[in-house]
Amino acid sequence: MIEFLTAWLGSLPGFMTPLLLASLGLLFCERAGVLNLGVEGVMAFSAMTGAITALAGYGPGAAMALGALAGLAVSIPFVIAVIVFRAPQIPAGLALVAIGLGASEAMGRDAAHKPFLGLQPIPWPEWLTDLPIIGRLLFEQDWMVILSLLLAIVATWGLFRTRHGLRLRAIGEDPATADAAGVDVQLYQFGALMIGALLIGLAGAYLSVAGSQIWTEGMVAGRGWISLALVVFAQWMPVRAIFGAVLFGGAEALIPRLQAQGLEVPVYFLSMTPYLLTIGALLLISLSMRTSQAEPGFLGRAYTRQDR
Amino acid sequence: MFERVTLERRADTSALRSVIVYVIALMVATALSLGVMIAAGVPTGALFEELVVQVFLSEAGLARTVTMATPMILAALAAALCLRLKFWNIGIEGQLIMGAILATAVALYDIGGPARLPVMLAASALGGALWVAAPAILKLRFGVSEVIVTLLLSNVAFLFLQHLLFGPFGDTSHNFPTSPVFDETEKLARFGYGDTNTGLIIALVAVAAIALVTHRMRFGFAARFAGDNVRAAEALGFNTGRIMLISILAGGAMAGLAGGVIVAGTEHRLTQVVGLHMTFNGIIIAALARNAPLMIPIVSFFIAGLSVASASLKVFYGVSEGIVLIIQGIILMTLVTFQFATTYRVTIARQRPT
Repeated sequence: MIEFLTAWLGSLPGFMTPLLLASLGLLFCERAGVLNLGVEGVMAFSAMTGAITALAGYGPGAAMALGALAGLAVSIPFVIAVIVFRAPQIPAGLALVAIGLGASEAMGRDAAHKPFLGLQPIPWPEWLTDLPIIGRLLFEQDWMVILSLLLAIVATWGLFRTRHGLRLRAIGEDPATADAAGVDVQLYQFGALMIGALLIGLAGAYLSVAGSQIWTEGMVAGRGWISLALVVFAQWMPVRAIFGAVLFGGAEALIPRLQAQGLEVPVYFLSMTPYLLTIGALLLISLSMRTSQAEPGFLGRAYTRQDR
Repeated sequence: MFERVTLERRADTSALRSVIVYVIALMVATALSLGVMIAAGVPTGALFEELVVQVFLSEAGLARTVTMATPMILAALAAALCLRLKFWNIGIEGQLIMGAILATAVALYDIGGPARLPVMLAASALGGALWVAAPAILKLRFGVSEVIVTLLLSNVAFLFLQHLLFGPFGDTSHNFPTSPVFDETEKLARFGYGDTNTGLIIALVAVAAIALVTHRMRFGFAARFAGDNVRAAEALGFNTGRIMLISILAGGAMAGLAGGVIVAGTEHRLTQVVGLHMTFNGIIIAALARNAPLMIPIVSFFIAGLSVASASLKVFYGVSEGIVLIIQGIILMTLVTFQFATTYRVTIARQRPT
């Protein structure tokens, strides 16, 4: 049992980190009133870019950075369509999913199924890593795990303790009022989407560079969509997103552990659990709050000055 | 930023303006798509041959295109029925898979005796409707976002499909994950022109029926009204919840039927790739057809041509299948971006406002 717990807790942060990074990225977009459905595609594109960079012989740091930048690059058509041309956000986001998935498939074909040496855990003295239960959880993790947790705290500070954060939230809540107060709505939305795309890109790059250390098609496997649900579950609060990511990541981390234990459940049913759990969590959160007060009031709508 | 630029929402847009914007958007999307294909390694000189001659003008190619268009018509109806009511059904693949699974179950377990085929098709429609029922109820009753739920249920359906193909439905005579081939009485009749089959008639009848309901019957009027303005429809006493539920279930049934038509008409067995890319296909066709049922067969024909062409580009020029997804994304992105020109009027003030 202790062995099982040690292994499960040790693998949990690896599953938590991409979910947390992606939902932090989404949180910025949604707090500024933009629903970015493109996550799944952006993550795939970044995962592919990170893998190609690593395969080309660059270090994992460079692979993570380029992956994040790739997330930014692939999001540009969406950003322009939504902010400049006020395109409806749901279909524009779906288009971004298609572009991201398609481009990662087409450009990553030669890099597929080739393992590489990616991001490694921070080396700690062996006696620390060997501690029961908490050893691997605390002392066998890479620096991205720590960075993602720090980013959640920085995001909280940025959104709730700075003037820019206040303006950003005001735009998501009521752009007309923010506009009247002299806030440049489009500029802030642009900034939020850029930060969001970088974080989502980082999440995607983490999947290949730190997680599987290989690029395969379809490896994002719905994590982008789960992150979208996670933001709702976290009620648009960065610190709550940590709990959500731990919960969802923990459930995901259970699957390979249970398989290793020889659990007698058909493999495909086991793989369904993260999706079903996500739907269950969405239902639970909507049951527990009758009206979703935390949701940014103007989420998903296009703002023009004339509308106010 | 641009203080001097103001956007005004257009009160209404002339038909001529809509048509011009639509045509320009299509031309831009086509140009971008051709650029992507050339960048992916298709020789410029071969584009016309591959994209036009081989898929629309050659006999075998045309047959393949029509065969491919058949389930696409139904998937697009599924998208249009839901989109009209602003229910973003992005789980068409899942509903299609469940339809295909139920149709296959009827065939494999020999249910329905002499009425085997009708029972298969009815089962497929039922499967699709059931699979969309959960997200519909979650949305209408509990306000849970249908976007995430439909998509995640699609993944669940795909895993269930794999479970069946590697397990109870698997054909034990070979190692590929497919079901056994259906009996002759479980196949839709073919026209003797490639793989084209009576599924096409089913799809066209569905188009006609939905067009009739949408444009000629009270329910269709109410549905269009509720889609445009829920509050106004409710204020006038329409039961919008019921209207939405019926439309969404009908949409799911169409997606399921698409699955039934694929297994009974084209593949004659259940495979892993049933429903591949059908969510995007359906949504893009519905968007291009502007949710008008009668436009759907025409648009489906062209999008099917694109899919058929990409299959041969893959074989002859080694072009990745991801190209189809990119092009679908480009078409959708271009379309929604150009919507700007019909929704807003741009005015530029002479001077900076003080």
